[in-house]
Amino acid sequence: MADMVKVTIDGHELEVPKGTTILEAAKRVGTEVPHYCYHPGMSSPAMCRLCLVDVEGAPKPMPSCVTTVMDGQVVHTQSEKALANRQGVLEFYLVNHPLDCPICDMSGECNLQDYVHEEGRKQGRGREPKRVFGRDDFGGDVLFYGDRCVMCTRCVRFMSEVEQDDRLTVVERGNRSVIDTFFAEGLDGTNWHGNIVDICPVGALVSKDFLHKARAWDLTHTPSICTSCSQGCNIDLHTRDNLVQRIKPRENLDVNGWWICDHGRHDYEWMNRGDRLEAPLARDGSTSRATGWKDALRGVLDGAAASSGGVRAIASAGSSNEDLGALRALVDALGGGEIVYRSARAADEIPLKGYPTLARRRDLAPNTTGANLMGMTRVGGDDATGGLEGVASHEGVVIVLGDRLDDVGADFGEKASLYVYLGTHDVPGASAAHFVLPVATHAESEGTFTNREGRVQRFEPALQAPGMARPAWLVLGALTAERTGGGVARTAPDAFAALGSTVPAFSGIGYGDIGSRGAVVNESVSLTGD
Amino acid sequence: MAISVKVMHRPAPETTSYLRAALSGMALTFRHMVNPVKVTQQYPEEQTDLDPRWRGTHVMETHADGRPKCVACGLCPTVCPANCIRLVGGEDDQGNRYPLVYEIDEFRCIFCGMCQEVCPVEAIHVGRHFENAEYTRDRFVYDLDRLMEQDHPSTLLWDPSDPTSE
Repeated sequence: MADMVKVTIDGHELEVPKGTTILEAAKRVGTEVPHYCYHPGMSSPAMCRLCLVDVEGAPKPMPSCVTTVMDGQVVHTQSEKALANRQGVLEFYLVNHPLDCPICDMSGECNLQDYVHEEGRKQGRGREPKRVFGRDDFGGDVLFYGDRCVMCTRCVRFMSEVEQDDRLTVVERGNRSVIDTFFAEGLDGTNWHGNIVDICPVGALVSKDFLHKARAWDLTHTPSICTSCSQGCNIDLHTRDNLVQRIKPRENLDVNGWWICDHGRHDYEWMNRGDRLEAPLARDGSTSRATGWKDALRGVLDGAAASSGGVRAIASAGSSNEDLGALRALVDALGGGEIVYRSARAADEIPLKGYPTLARRRDLAPNTTGANLMGMTRVGGDDATGGLEGVASHEGVVIVLGDRLDDVGADFGEKASLYVYLGTHDVPGASAAHFVLPVATHAESEGTFTNREGRVQRFEPALQAPGMARPAWLVLGALTAERTGGGVARTAPDAFAALGSTVPAFSGIGYGDIGSRGAVVNESVSLTGD
Repeated sequence: MAISVKVMHRPAPETTSYLRAALSGMALTFRHMVNPVKVTQQYPEEQTDLDPRWRGTHVMETHADGRPKCVACGLCPTVCPANCIRLVGGEDDQGNRYPLVYEIDEFRCIFCGMCQEVCPVEAIHVGRHFENAEYTRDRFVYDLDRLMEQDHPSTLLWDPSDPTSE
C-alpha cells in the first residue's frame, strides 16, 4: 500500500500507516515508551520530554509522541543514548517531586514511581530543598497536590479539548508553574472531571472519594459495564474486602473511549449495601420464614400449577440479558403473559463534547434495549414510577424481577394467586409476596447488557453474593427447567446461549465472541430511541 | 556384608552388688550439696537476658505530641506473611494521613519483623518483650492505642540513632 511506511524499532521491522507516531508504532512491537504528556485521546504538546527516543541520523533525540514515522527510519528506544536521556529527565522530575509515596494515593499505580524504579538513578543527587505548594481543593471530586505535579498538563488539555470547558490552566512560569483553577469556580458543576484523576500520571490529582481508602496494589480489577445509563460505558470495578472501592473507565473506543462520567464513577454505593436478602422467604399471611432454595422453588412451582388467570411480570431494565431472557422463558412456560418494566429518564443528555459518541444518556437504565428486544414494554413515568395498576389488580401469577416497587403500597400483589418477588432487598412492595427470592446484583453475577446502540457487552462478577443469593437467570432457569422438563443453564454462557435460541436478535452472537469490545445484536436498533 | 553386632555383657544381678553404683551416685549428690551450682532461675523476680535479635510483641512509635508515627501507607499489611495486620487509612484534623484502624493479631503474628523492616517512617517495631498473658483471646488483637501504650523497648535490631540504617 502506498500509504504504509517501513520502520525499524528496536530491531523489529514493521509496516505502519503513514502518519503514525513512533510511540504508537513502538506499542505494536510491545514497547511502551515512557511518557507523561501524551495521551491517545488528546493532543500532544511534547512537553514532558520523557518519550525522547534515539532516531538514527537525527542529530538530537526525537519526541516519539509527535514524531511520525518515516520510511526506512531506524529507531532505538532502549539504546544507551535513549536510556541516558530518560534517566536525566527523570532526575529533573525528582528535583521537585516529593518522595511522599507512603502517603500518596497514586502509589502503586504511579508512572513516575514505575519509571524511576525501572530506569531512574539508584540514588538521588538533589540537596536543595524542594518547592512546596501544599494542596488545593479543585472542587468537585478533585484534590490537587501541587508538589507532586510534573506539569504534563493532561488535565488542562482534558478540560479544554475533551470536556471543552476551560476550568484549569497553568499559572506562573518555570519552576514555579502550577496548575490552578479560575478563581473560586473550580471544577464544580462539570460532569466529566473525574477523568482528570485517571489521566494524571502522578498523584497530583486525587479523588476525594477515594482519598486514603485503599492502596492500589490491594485492589482487584474486574471488567464490568456501567449501570448508570444506556451508554454502556466499559468500566473496571476495583474491589477490596468484597466491597467496591472505586470505579475506573476501561478503554473501549467503540463506546466510551477512555472516559466515563462522574455520575457513573460514583454510582457504586448500592453495590456495597449490607442489608441484603440472604435467604428465600416463604410468606403465609403475616408470617414470613426463611427457607431453602429447594423448598422455595418447589413452592413457587406448586403455586403456579394451582393458579389460573395467566401471568403478569414486572422486569427491570437494570437486569442483564440473561436475567430478562430467563424471565421471558419462565413466563412463556407458565402460559405466557405481558412483561412490563419501568426505567428512569433524565431530562437532558450530558454530552462529552470532545468525544461525540459518548454522553450520559437520557435513558438511565443499562439494558432498556435488551428488555425491548425481549418484547417487554416500558410503563410508567420518567421517574420510574406508576404504570403498575394492571399488574396490581392481576389475579393470576405475578412475578417481579429487580424492580424496587418504591411507589406501591404494602398491599401490592394481594389479589394475585401467586406473587413471587425476586430482588436484592426486602422492600415494602413485596410484603404480600408468597415467595421472596434473593438474587445477586450486577456486581455479583456474570452476564451481558445491551446498550442503546444494540451492543452486547459482558460484565464479570466482582463481589461475592451474600448468603444464598443467586443470579436471577439461575433461579428463573431452574424454575423453567422444572416446569418444562428441559435442561437448565448452569453458567452465564449457557444462559446466553439459551437466550439466543428464544430471542432471534441474540442468536447470531456467541458468548465467547463478545470479547472486550462487545458485539452488536442482529436487529438494527434505533439510535434516536431515547 | 556381615553385620557386626555388639554384644553387651551385663552383670548378672545375683553375682553383683548395687552398692558401688549407689555410693558413687550419693557422692555426686553430696558434692552438689556442699558446692552448689545454681541452674534454677528465679523467674519472674529474675529476668532472662534476651538475645540481641529478639523480636517480640509490637510497639508503635509516637511523635512528641502523642500522635502515632504511622502514615497508613499500607506496606506492613502488604508484606506481612501471616496476614495479621489490618489497616484502614484516614485523615486526621490536620490533614495528615494516619491509620483510622491499625490492628495486629499477635496470635497470628510470626514475629518475622518484616513490618518493621518495610516501614518507611519507622513507626511499627517488634519489641524486646515476650510475656503475654491475657484472660481472653481477643485481647491479643492489639489496636492502635494499645500498640502506642506498649512501654517495652523496641528490638535491638533497630538503632534509634540511625533509624534508617544508612
